[in-house]
Amino acid sequence: MTTVTRSAIGFLPRADFQRLIDLLSEDDRTVIGPTVADGAIVYGEVRAVSDLPRGIGAEQAPGSYRLVDRGNDLLFAYTVGPTSWKRFVFPPTLAVSRSHRDEDGHVSFGPVPKEIPKLAFLGVRACELAALGVEDRVFLGGPYTDEDYRARRTRSLVVAVQCAEPAGTCFCTSMGTGPGVRSGHDLLLIELDDGFVVTAGSPVGSAILDQLDLEEASADQITAGSDQLAAARQRIGDPVVAAGLHDRLMAKLDSPRWADVAERCLACTNCTASCPTCFCTSVSQRSDLDGQTSVTERRWESCFTKGFSTVALGGNFRPRVQDRYRQWLTHKFATWIDQFGTSGCVGCGRCITWCPVGIDVREELNVIAPPPQVVLGNGKGSEAHSPRTSVFRVDAARRETQDTVTLTLSTPSGIDWSKLHGEFVMVSVPAVGSVPISISRRLPTGMELTIRGVGPASTILTGLGHGAEVGLSAPLGRGWPVDMAEDHDVLIVGGGMGLPPLRPVVDEIIEHRAKFGEVRIYHGARTPGDLLYAEELARWAARGDLEVGVTVDRADATWLGRVGVVTHLFDHARWDGTKAIAFVCGPERMIQATVTTLALHGVTSDRIFVSMERHMECGVGLCGHCQMGPYFVCKDGPVFSLAQLGDVFGREGI
Amino acid sequence: MPETEGPDPRTDDTASLVALLNATWFGANLLPETQVRLAGLARRYQAAAGTTLLTEGQLANEIGIVLSGRVSLRTLVPEEGWITILTVEPGDIFGQSALVPPYRSTSNVVALQQVDVLALDGPGLRAALAADHDLAAQMYPRVLQAMARRLSATRLQMLDLLAR
Repeated sequence: MTTVTRSAIGFLPRADFQRLIDLLSEDDRTVIGPTVADGAIVYGEVRAVSDLPRGIGAEQAPGSYRLVDRGNDLLFAYTVGPTSWKRFVFPPTLAVSRSHRDEDGHVSFGPVPKEIPKLAFLGVRACELAALGVEDRVFLGGPYTDEDYRARRTRSLVVAVQCAEPAGTCFCTSMGTGPGVRSGHDLLLIELDDGFVVTAGSPVGSAILDQLDLEEASADQITAGSDQLAAARQRIGDPVVAAGLHDRLMAKLDSPRWADVAERCLACTNCTASCPTCFCTSVSQRSDLDGQTSVTERRWESCFTKGFSTVALGGNFRPRVQDRYRQWLTHKFATWIDQFGTSGCVGCGRCITWCPVGIDVREELNVIAPPPQVVLGNGKGSEAHSPRTSVFRVDAARRETQDTVTLTLSTPSGIDWSKLHGEFVMVSVPAVGSVPISISRRLPTGMELTIRGVGPASTILTGLGHGAEVGLSAPLGRGWPVDMAEDHDVLIVGGGMGLPPLRPVVDEIIEHRAKFGEVRIYHGARTPGDLLYAEELARWAARGDLEVGVTVDRADATWLGRVGVVTHLFDHARWDGTKAIAFVCGPERMIQATVTTLALHGVTSDRIFVSMERHMECGVGLCGHCQMGPYFVCKDGPVFSLAQLGDVFGREGI
Repeated sequence: MPETEGPDPRTDDTASLVALLNATWFGANLLPETQVRLAGLARRYQAAAGTTLLTEGQLANEIGIVLSGRVSLRTLVPEEGWITILTVEPGDIFGQSALVPPYRSTSNVVALQQVDVLALDGPGLRAALAADHDLAAQMYPRVLQAMARRLSATRLQMLDLLAR
């Protein structure tokens, strides 16, 4: 008998397979593998060989899945089922943090203690290994990272099994992820009629292989494995031409096929729930009855739900199913590449099998974005860190309008908050939730936030008084590039609640006034009673070196100021925009009207910066809600140049 | 008809009226002969803050070009009173109903500040536009531009975007 070394290839007879399960179970490790449950192959705990689906296969087609008894002893003769490994490294629900308010009103925020299990994943296919790789890029690629994911991932051992049974819905060959396992595994099994060819892919795997003390696999056995793989590859073919798919797809945002597929799509979310890479989440608060202790829970969410892209007061950026289908497909196959440097699809076919009406993504892609081919884009990465919640105290609350309040907040952290970059903070109200709020003034000890009470959390915030405590994240997102405006004329246009995010820009310009050319500030409000910072606007105007224009949409007869849209403040003006940089914030439709007028004055799209509003939950690009074309608004924005947004800006349902 | 406080129009010479026209968005860059024709139909007046320049439903006999000051367009909303739906700023026009049957004002036009107005005689302008197609070809696009600007603004106001 030949004892194998680390670099060698062993053969494990099927009769000895329990030995592998036992070895994997050492060190309190739980083995998760394929089991038969609810008429499907699902991943569950495996203690013995008898838990595995011996001789069971799965026939799959668009909208169809049936288990079949193949009448053999193969343990892994199935194709992937509805569950994926995602749920074990990225649980469907997870308590992410807790908050507590004591009887004196002091609040505290902290993590939820939890035990991360040690797991061994048994039976991971090549496409699923690729999916884990995709998730690694999403959650660990930065700039923000999911430390819970990291802990679960690093405590998991991966035993891959070469795919010999592709289903009719598979297209891993097209996505370049299979059927052959290449990397990312600790052990790799190739199942033959009488046992398994075993190789190691990591030091941990090598150690297990050593412990198995196997006979070396024969050349015939190794060849049989290769033949299996070749046969699988041939059966799958190459149903989607992936090369150039990114550009082809993004060129078809106006395809009539989106409306066509929306006629069939039920927006049931099955595709996203079964997808091994979809990572969107929502958070909710679970509170005890007296509101003193609450837990923030994260749960899987789908971009197919109507509520996914709603913002305050019910505005919805993707109201139609065709908008949501386009969002999903273009993200998965195109903008994912812009964001993470890899496609979001691994070709496992789950979304095809589990679609109740049998929509076949391969067919949709080939209709919407048929070849020819062009080159894919690049990804990006940077230093990884996670945002923390700090307790801030309300030093002052100043009522701006009937429903809007400016809070002055500070924290004794020793950090000069005015030096921190970032456009907004996530404000946490214990027992209620978190809301993104733009910073309306930067202060060394904290900041001012101007908040309109529109939802539960923001309404509570507008009612806070001196001494109240809330949780704030560090400043997030990319803000206004004020330094770019030096030596230029500056235009600042704020509609309604669009003015508060621009106030720090005005502060900075005033602090370094000589560095800027002519500065014009235009503010539009709904009514005179909705005007923000009225006294401050008057002070700015009185300086003499800032032009300030104010208008309202409607007014009663006592108002002697201007009435009309904000663009009327400057559309007939005679200044030259070719030397100007513009910062615009407000409702998207108002921004559209404004940038059209700015363009007529010669302000080019690379010098027009706009702040986009989208549904934000996590604030760090990990929950998926705020996606806008290739961007996550919270992480890549919310401030973008118009040139950067390209034809995504103003597009319906994006 | 508002009380006129300015000089008698007949004492304003054509050249100064053309100069005033040229200083407005509405009148600038019209052909010189068009500006002279318009000056021949123009009178200039001032009105104090609070003066009603036109009344909703009444005949609009003049198109006003605001030279300075601010004018409000108001409409009566039940239970809300008179609501200002737009202000007309220097360079822009009001009273264009004088060109469109039935030649009646569609809003109350009230001076919010002391205003200086160049007013074009409505019936005279209508007759001139009917008789002189070159004048009409110059004048109507400018009127249309002012109306289109106002229409698109009104649409945005109707959307009540800033309520959110």
